[in-house]
Amino acid sequence: MNLSNDTDISRPSTSASTNLGIVNSASQNNGNNNNTIKAPSNDFVRKLFGILERCEYPDIVRWTEKGESFVVLDTGKFTTQILPNHFKHSNFASFVRQLNKYDFHKVKKSPEERQNSQYGELSWEFRHPYFTIHNEEALDNIKRKTTVQKKIMLDDSTVLLKPNSGTQTGTEERAGANLILGNAVTKDKFNLLKRRVDRLQKDLDSAKEESYNAKLEFQKLNSKYNTVVESLFTFKTVNDNLMNNFNILCSVLNNRGIELPPHIYQDPRLKQNSGTQQQAQAATSAATQATTSASNSTAGMSPMQNKPFDPLNSAVNAMVPGPVPLSASLSNHNAVNAAAELQLPLPNMNHGPTITTDKGDKLPETYDSFVLREGFHVLLVEDDAVCIQLCSKFLRKYGCTVEVVTDGLAAISTLEKFRYDLVLMDIVMPNLDGATATSIVRSFDIHTPIIAMTGNIEDQDLITYLQHGMNDILAKPFTKDDLHSMLIRYLRDRVPLIKQQEQRAHATNEHHHHHGSTADNGTGTGTANGNSGGGVNHGSNSGDNSNGNGPHSVDRNGYASSEADSQPELLTRSQSHSQMQGSLDDTTTNPPGVPPQSLPPTSGQAHGPGRGVPLSTTASGHSSSAVSDHDVKGLVDDEPLLKKQRV
Amino acid sequence: MMSAIPKEIINWSILNEIVSMDEDDPEFSKGLIIQFMEQAQTTFDKMQTILHTTKDLGELDSLGHFLKGSSAALGLQRIAWVCERIQNLGRKHENSFPSSEVVRASLFGNNMEPSSAASVESENMPQLDDSVYLGLIGEALQEARNEFQLAKLELSKYYGSPL
Repeated sequence: MNLSNDTDISRPSTSASTNLGIVNSASQNNGNNNNTIKAPSNDFVRKLFGILERCEYPDIVRWTEKGESFVVLDTGKFTTQILPNHFKHSNFASFVRQLNKYDFHKVKKSPEERQNSQYGELSWEFRHPYFTIHNEEALDNIKRKTTVQKKIMLDDSTVLLKPNSGTQTGTEERAGANLILGNAVTKDKFNLLKRRVDRLQKDLDSAKEESYNAKLEFQKLNSKYNTVVESLFTFKTVNDNLMNNFNILCSVLNNRGIELPPHIYQDPRLKQNSGTQQQAQAATSAATQATTSASNSTAGMSPMQNKPFDPLNSAVNAMVPGPVPLSASLSNHNAVNAAAELQLPLPNMNHGPTITTDKGDKLPETYDSFVLREGFHVLLVEDDAVCIQLCSKFLRKYGCTVEVVTDGLAAISTLEKFRYDLVLMDIVMPNLDGATATSIVRSFDIHTPIIAMTGNIEDQDLITYLQHGMNDILAKPFTKDDLHSMLIRYLRDRVPLIKQQEQRAHATNEHHHHHGSTADNGTGTGTANGNSGGGVNHGSNSGDNSNGNGPHSVDRNGYASSEADSQPELLTRSQSHSQMQGSLDDTTTNPPGVPPQSLPPTSGQAHGPGRGVPLSTTASGHSSSAVSDHDVKGLVDDEPLLKKQRV
Repeated sequence: MMSAIPKEIINWSILNEIVSMDEDDPEFSKGLIIQFMEQAQTTFDKMQTILHTTKDLGELDSLGHFLKGSSAALGLQRIAWVCERIQNLGRKHENSFPSSEVVRASLFGNNMEPSSAASVESENMPQLDDSVYLGLIGEALQEARNEFQLAKLELSKYYGSPL
């Protein structure tokens, strides 16, 4: 009995009147056939039914013969007699509309049929499936049609869901509502979707913001990076200028007859053997002065202040050009002057740091040098036979053992198998260039110093090499001294691997905690200088070490300790005295490239180191360069970048 | 920018250092120089071959760089200078080479700025056709050979025997 939805919809619906489209629970109940309780929802129909059943106006309105429909014989009389008495309709058209609302239909007739109609040409016949003669029960099924309300839309879904008190409903209405509901979206669903959309929107917004922030961050970092690189170059330029000025100063002083220690400034006219004991001794006293003035003048040198001004020690110190804070040399004229007078040994960029002792013995020609121990094993990666010969000759001259490979690939495979104290790497080579080879080597060996040898010394190239993990750059063509500077820089505080191994075999007793953080390149050792005081005390010891001749366990240990950092795997940490080390570190701290500043303590000593000084003197002098390098450390750390030696 | 041509054939401060190694290894420097000369000849010939066959600028760059290294290491600075020109021409980083007159003149201290002699040396180097660079390298190679002969003479004089 339920009409299909299709039917419902196809029915013409008039929407004009009152309780439109309101579905309510009551109506649902009514709609149910089995529901016996009649709501008075179809009074109109029942009224009409009663009139027909009673046959009150047989010549105006009556059942048709079959009883399946009724017919209005005379619309005029119906309007004038029946409507006013029984219905509230004022005209027949209104009555017909009401019928239509209950789904009554006028029975259509062709003109011929109409003419032949038994009820007259003007009669109106209406029928409804459930409106039949004597069948009152069926009336229950006659319901007012649900009018399709255009207003029922998604945005109004609440209305649809809300139980409604509207009364006149029927099956069709409900079905229509259901249809609408079926196609519509419930508020819950709608809200759910809405929430989802909102959430997605929020997510999108936050993602956008994040990416924006990331972009900003990236730009910031980028600009910071650029700034840093720029400042590095600026720093380098400044440094170069300072070095130039310093060299000019030295040459002026030199020209005025003031003799400078060779490792600070080598006058071309100076003979190697010119060093005199006299000077050294004179220097000793002067050194004290210098120390004083320097320490007073610059805070940077404060560590030195604690140093006892023991002439011997200061002399010793002088032998080793300690790094002096740049500011000190610049700002303090006194210190500089003093240093100059004293022939303060200042490491010169062009000349390697001075080795006073060992070197002096073994290599008479190296007037200016730190101690470089013998036996370092160096891998030379170079494809040019001439350069190989030359370079390995120099290396051997400095007591190194050399192994040669001729391209980057060979270098990698060799370094995989063997350990070296240092690698000298050409850049342009067949098979694999040196920079790339280095970056590969760095994946398994981050300790071994790798020095680029190259003719390309553009800033950009330098950066590239360093980025590939190379420690430093040795510009080609290089002199013996250039090479020596580099060796000193990276090896002076080390014990050759081979000796370490021997040492390890023997020295198992001393396991002292290694305090200093010595950098691979030895430049970073500045940190260790916290002990500068200690350095002084041990000056004499280290002096012995520097002699290097003697198999001083102390000395070795000291070196070993610093070594340990760089090549832990090979080493037992057999460092002995940390203090010792401190002093050693001090000595090591000033890398050749670092501008030597007025190192007052050194100054005294400077003379000592001057060649020709008796060995004993040098030895003692060697040790104590207590120059504290905290200040220098910054410099030192950045140094590889700064030191483009020959440019 | 093209650097100025060194006036001196030999940078003695460099070579002297090498010579000083003869102390404990007699003939070291001489051996090295002889080795270089062989190497240089070989390299020149290789360059010549490339100019006539593969015309591979990259290869010429490498060879130029290679010989620049060893000549500079021995202090043979004029050869090194020409080799650098070859290297840079191979890279198309330069697009000119001074005439042999200019090169010759520089030897006698007649310091003509190479840049003035050079045809074009602009900051924004126009990339020319390979043939231009090959031609210039050809000229440079000839100069390199000349310089090589000059150096050989000088060194023979120094060692007191023909090398």
